[in-house]
Amino acid sequence: MIDFSLILQALPTLLRGLIVSLEIAFGALCIGMIGGTILGIGQSLGSPLVRAIIGIYAAIIRGTPMLIQIVFLYYLVSVTGIGLSPFATAVIAIGLNSSAYVSQIMRAGILAVPRGQREAAKTLGISSRDTILYIMLPHAVRVVLPALGNESVTLVKDSSLASLIGVMELYKEGQVVISLTYDALSTYCAIAALYLLVTTTLSFAVYRLEIFLNRHAHH
Amino acid sequence: MLIINDLSKFIRGKKILNSVSLSVEAGSIALLMGRSGVGKSTLLRVLAGLETADSGTALLDGAPISLDGKSRSDAVGMVFQHFNLFDLMTVLENITFPLIKGSGYSQAAAEKRAHTLLTQFELEEFAQRYPGQLSGGQKQRLAIARALAQQPRIICMDEPTSALDPLLAHAVASQIQQLAHEGYHVVVASHDTKLIEALTGKLYLMEDGAIAESCDSEEFRLNRSRFWKISEFLRKDHTTAA
Repeated sequence: MIDFSLILQALPTLLRGLIVSLEIAFGALCIGMIGGTILGIGQSLGSPLVRAIIGIYAAIIRGTPMLIQIVFLYYLVSVTGIGLSPFATAVIAIGLNSSAYVSQIMRAGILAVPRGQREAAKTLGISSRDTILYIMLPHAVRVVLPALGNESVTLVKDSSLASLIGVMELYKEGQVVISLTYDALSTYCAIAALYLLVTTTLSFAVYRLEIFLNRHAHH
Repeated sequence: MLIINDLSKFIRGKKILNSVSLSVEAGSIALLMGRSGVGKSTLLRVLAGLETADSGTALLDGAPISLDGKSRSDAVGMVFQHFNLFDLMTVLENITFPLIKGSGYSQAAAEKRAHTLLTQFELEEFAQRYPGQLSGGQKQRLAIARALAQQPRIICMDEPTSALDPLLAHAVASQIQQLAHEGYHVVVASHDTKLIEALTGKLYLMEDGAIAESCDSEEFRLNRSRFWKISEFLRKDHTTAA
């Protein structure tokens, strides 16, 4: 049923696609984490206007399919004549989508930081910026690390949507293999196994990071 | 001298502080006592800049205590009920970080100051541990050391014994008394009658956000019946504790 020799033959092509998938996921992760953290801070500590704007942004992004967002950005880029490659378009679209989810995760993390930490910093004359950077964010990240780990795993899987606008990532390369070999089952098995390998490794890495970051915890 | 004059504070329409006036000389202790919710902690929070008073003044040697964060931290040090130590920083960093970020110390100067305080509070051997790895008494000593690091002139302590083993109350009283001997203006809010009885200073009984009765602790010990509200408060709480 599953032709392992075919999988071995197709492996270089699939690995080439996997590298592109990981590049998309990494780029989107950077945009999502940085953007989401800034939005999360804004939504938990900003003025009512800032909170409302971020809330609307998150609602729109979370309320529409990522597939539509990628295609929408792709056509927006084409119409406006901005010279963005499909790869860059996919990274930005998936990254912006991720930032909306990360913003809600970070918001929950920031709200979970004990109020006393902020109050202590205030009485010690520490600025709001330093309080957020050095006291609140490290606390918040520890709280939301499992959720951020899930988000990064999701991004790896969501990178396959970049195939819609012609990016030669893992799924798209798999389709090329299928068109040449007509063995969809073996190829999709190989693709699924590669995704599983990456996501399992990523989950384990996040788990180890969680243990490392919580080394100071109560003994 | 710290003079609090006619301080009032409303929270959600409720008067939490009702024209509170009191004074604390350098090297002495003001003991705010009263049941939970009478406004003791709010008064400390106003002094520490965590709340803003709706009216009234707080003057230190005739000058208003600035509302600006850095100037405020130079004037007032706060020891919180639950210590509020920075959990993700080591014992040493709990002292050096505020000195560097709050008072502009260099790393070297901050570490020097921190090591002096850690030695003074018998915490030097725990310098690289995290607050979660300290006992209650050690946490409190660290909280006091951190509050003193920026050399404030006023030390506010909110329920200093409530998070500790009752056996530590005497040790805490000695520490507070020592702070007064060192010249600080010490303001303590507590409903721990053992602690109150162990300290020497000016007693202020608070009820419904206002000072209901006040006297010197020595005066009170000589003639308890004259200050019946304070006497009643201390007696009732002893009965409850027993």
